[in-house]
Amino acid sequence: MALPDVDNPRFLVPIEPVGEPVFTDPADEIESHSLWRDAFKRLLKDRLAVISAIIIIAVIGISILAPVIAPYAPNEMDLAKRLQPIGTPGHILGTDQAGRDILSRLIWGGRISVAIGVGAVAAALVFGVLIGLIAGFYKGPIDTIANFGLNILMAFPYILLAISIITALGPGLTNAMIAIAIVGIPYYARIVRGSVLSLREQEFVQAEIALGASNWRIIFKHILPNVLSPIIVAATLDVGWMIVMASGLSFLGLGAQPPTAEWGLMLSEGQKYIRNAPYVSLLPGLMIFIVVLALNFLGDGLRDALDPKLKQ
Amino acid sequence: MLRYAIKRVLQLIPILIGVSMLVFLIMQLTPGDPAKLILGPRASQETLEAYRRELGLHLPIWQQYLNWIGNVLRGNLGNSLHFKKPVTDLIMERLAATLILSIASMILATVFGVVTGVISATKQYSLADRTMMTLALIGFCLPVFWFGLLLQFVFSIRLGWFPASGINSPGVTGWQDMAWHLVLPSIALAVGAMATIARMTRSSMLEVIRQDYIRTARAKGVSWREISYNHALRNALIPVVTVVGSQFGYLLSGQILLEVVFNWPGLGQLMVNGIMYRDFPLVQGTVLVVAAMYVVVNLIVDLLYGFLDPRIKYEEN
Amino acid sequence: MKKLALLIMVLLIAGLLLVGCGSDDVTDDGTTTTTSGENQLIIGISSVPVSLDEQQISDYNSDRVASELYDTLLRFTDDSTDVEPGLATDWDVSEDGLTYTITLRDGVKFHDGTDFDADAVVYNFERFTSGEPVFAYADPIFDMVDSVSAPDESTVVFKLKEPFAPFLAHLAMTQFSIVSPTAAEESGIQDFGRNPVGTGPYKFVSWTGETEVIMERNDDYWGDKPNIDRLIYRFITDDNTRLNELEAGSIDIAVDPLPDSIAGFEAHSGFQILQEPGLHTWYLSLNTQVPPFDKAEVRHAFYHAIDREAIVDNILLGTGVLAVNFLPPATPGYTDDVPKYEFSPEKAKELLAEAGEENLTVDFWVPEGGSGMQSPDAMATAIQGDLANVGVTLNIKKLEWGAYLDQMFGDFPPEDQEMLLGQMSWISDNGDPDNFLYFLCSNTQWPPNYNSAYYSNDDFEKLIIEARFNPVWEEREPLYKEAQQILMGDLPYLPIDHEIITAIGREGITGFVIHPRGFFRTTGVTVP
Repeated sequence: MALPDVDNPRFLVPIEPVGEPVFTDPADEIESHSLWRDAFKRLLKDRLAVISAIIIIAVIGISILAPVIAPYAPNEMDLAKRLQPIGTPGHILGTDQAGRDILSRLIWGGRISVAIGVGAVAAALVFGVLIGLIAGFYKGPIDTIANFGLNILMAFPYILLAISIITALGPGLTNAMIAIAIVGIPYYARIVRGSVLSLREQEFVQAEIALGASNWRIIFKHILPNVLSPIIVAATLDVGWMIVMASGLSFLGLGAQPPTAEWGLMLSEGQKYIRNAPYVSLLPGLMIFIVVLALNFLGDGLRDALDPKLKQ
Repeated sequence: MLRYAIKRVLQLIPILIGVSMLVFLIMQLTPGDPAKLILGPRASQETLEAYRRELGLHLPIWQQYLNWIGNVLRGNLGNSLHFKKPVTDLIMERLAATLILSIASMILATVFGVVTGVISATKQYSLADRTMMTLALIGFCLPVFWFGLLLQFVFSIRLGWFPASGINSPGVTGWQDMAWHLVLPSIALAVGAMATIARMTRSSMLEVIRQDYIRTARAKGVSWREISYNHALRNALIPVVTVVGSQFGYLLSGQILLEVVFNWPGLGQLMVNGIMYRDFPLVQGTVLVVAAMYVVVNLIVDLLYGFLDPRIKYEEN
Repeated sequence: MKKLALLIMVLLIAGLLLVGCGSDDVTDDGTTTTTSGENQLIIGISSVPVSLDEQQISDYNSDRVASELYDTLLRFTDDSTDVEPGLATDWDVSEDGLTYTITLRDGVKFHDGTDFDADAVVYNFERFTSGEPVFAYADPIFDMVDSVSAPDESTVVFKLKEPFAPFLAHLAMTQFSIVSPTAAEESGIQDFGRNPVGTGPYKFVSWTGETEVIMERNDDYWGDKPNIDRLIYRFITDDNTRLNELEAGSIDIAVDPLPDSIAGFEAHSGFQILQEPGLHTWYLSLNTQVPPFDKAEVRHAFYHAIDREAIVDNILLGTGVLAVNFLPPATPGYTDDVPKYEFSPEKAKELLAEAGEENLTVDFWVPEGGSGMQSPDAMATAIQGDLANVGVTLNIKKLEWGAYLDQMFGDFPPEDQEMLLGQMSWISDNGDPDNFLYFLCSNTQWPPNYNSAYYSNDDFEKLIIEARFNPVWEEREPLYKEAQQILMGDLPYLPIDHEIITAIGREGITGFVIHPRGFFRTTGVTVP
């Protein structure tokens, strides 16, 4: 491998790794359940993580309920009421350059951002895990080829790869999601591959192999459940980064297209009016920031809760 | 060491080939017939056909790739459809601006990151440590384009302390003016990397401090200050070098966005404009160059790491 | 640690909000430092010129930069499209209106030191009408010319095929700027636009990429020499940056400010607002040859659906005048007795239903700024919203200005033109109604010329051709009035407003002329 294996193999979160995955034989399921329960209890004691979780749940809740709670439709214009300041009666957060209610657009924008973040992570996770499982389990040439492919994808700075993919697919929200999902795949694939390679040598897996269990049974019944826990934390954090990346692409005009209420696009469209009405562009950015920050605090909390030793 | 270096460089080749293949393939997928794009829609079938032959578009795809990569290796990235100039020239015009911004940010991030990390580690759990680490977490979460816009708004539009955009004032040359323009974008770009480097330095320092030889030194009565700066820091910095390298990719990504925010005349802006102009040879060229830059920087970091850390076993994969 | 983190987070957010939402006016302390202690004028414009070869230029930002490098045979007066002597000192029109004998100024030299003479004019005519696609203006300007000859060094004779009323105005159009034959031959068509050589009041010094064009005073100029030593055009695409640079003093004049920002500068003592109603129309261009805009009902429905008044009142904020006709009101022969289309979403829906196009989705092409385009994004958003109200989905597609022009006026047959609906604006080249009605609407002027609507109507064509070749204004005028009625009945273009050209300058700058045609005259400028 020409690329240095950074302490943290995951892409956007170059902080300390999640810790050694705890491998469990399915026979120990009861114990592992209580492990999760303990972790949850520890998490509840972490006030910042709890607040973050509340923020995230609120954002998700608001996103789902957007049609009900948003005071206006996201694209409802009133040119006579352009660029109203924050605190205007009827428009608590003011209006944008087309006289649209900023609060409503932020709410609807959250819906899109959450959907994209979760969607992209889910897609990256599914393909990443599959590739990682197959590469790690079969080893040999399959692994070599897969690993080479992953290395190439990782040889691109992340947004560069996304931009290239969008150049081929054309700009748009769905294409932006596909692009960032592809960017995410290798990072999951590599964590999983690494875990599988060491799991494969564990006794309980070797025993299954010796007993003649089918490969797929081993992979899905015994290996998959064990590799899942380390990547759950990773995935939580990555939702935030996917949101940032998607909004960055929209900011460049490659993601969501007007008049969509999407945070990155709102920021880029409002940039023009920053002299007179800075809130039009700064507020959507603030939302991105808050969501990412909350997801990070929560992720940190989760990591600490799952592996109390690390807290020292 | 030399064997290790040669091996690393050799390992780079397949990666670069893979990267170039991927860039080539992606651009093959872009809609539109290159001959038609260049000759215009009214060109006759025969002219188009002749031009396709001239461009080698009738050849099988692997042969097209070989032709293309052959040209790339000779420094020929094709012609920009929009600027009607060689892509290589356009890239060379803007490469300096990009490098200035990324190197300035990298220096900023490394210096402040390491200093913060060291202070935090030596005063673990102090108020300073907590504040700095919290700020680091916050800095780490800042979306770079938003933070850039915020800095621009506060320090340029509101306060008028720094220029809002561009690399030079009109008609002005010289490094002072450029440095002035560099302040806001480099800070905006550096913050994320700075935060990561600070956190990495801190944890790496803490790990080293707990190690035996430090304890021994301490037992021998060497002062804490001496230990931190002479023994611990040097060893703790080894893993930091890798993080600095990995941050470079993060930085390059942020830079593409930030060049647009600050109207910085670099490769990122050229690439984004290329998409706006639908100038695919330009996009292809810039993507390839930036990706290659990233791979090479990683190689350098890798070699540096091997050079710094005598424990590395060169034979290992 | 966690508490502290929380506190910091809350403080940070609160601080940001405070800063972000504080009171509005930006330009509070009136100190503007100027870098231009030298005797020079720096003008910030919103787009990079496509070329500095006037003969290749079709957009007026390029024209703004290039126009003072050259002279034309006749020139427009400072405030109108009446003509006065330029490189020609005198002209004589024959009785039958077919022969124009032009007497040229003596002793004029090009910037490269070569002499300007009758042969140079003939060379220029031949270059311009050579049929190269880059000289798109040649056909509409000179298609009535039969021959050009140079009987002696200082006389040029244009022989026309038919009498042509606005011919003198055509000779004053900046597109027929006289270039140095020697330099043009040396550079070739492609490169001359980057190394322009003319006879104008300024000499070209340099063009730095996407940054600036620098020119210096031509001390040998035949006319009024500029007061300033250097004239610099700086290209600052971003509207805010352009104004920031003005405040910072690194430019003296910012052209085309965002309408929302003007009030702040107006209230401020260090600046002056410079305005001039342009012979300009901002319109939507519809491809009338292919669905859905081949149906007149759809075009009418679109016009009914757009709340033009709201756009002019709330977005343009005093930088535009509501359009009811495609021609700018100051054009001779203008009439407002044309079919009117009130804002009525109901009517629009009915018309769409009639046309069977209820759930229409169309790409709406929008440039990234560009001369005369005013506020392309804001206007696009408003139009998109208005059409959404009548059930039409517009997908905005953005292109950079140069690429946008290439697409809109690209050499496409109508069925291959991807751009069915796009924003465009036109500023009259010579003040004659022919310039709008023939250049943009004649079926002989489909792209690569400027009839981007691919409009074709035989009745209309007959009128404008007849008017074009009739030298008597009293006879032309009724023809143009009728033509305007047909045009506004057909609606190949949806006119939205007429621009009031606006620039913000530092206080104390005098003598800066904004011509109704859109270009600037700076020879009389003094800087404090």
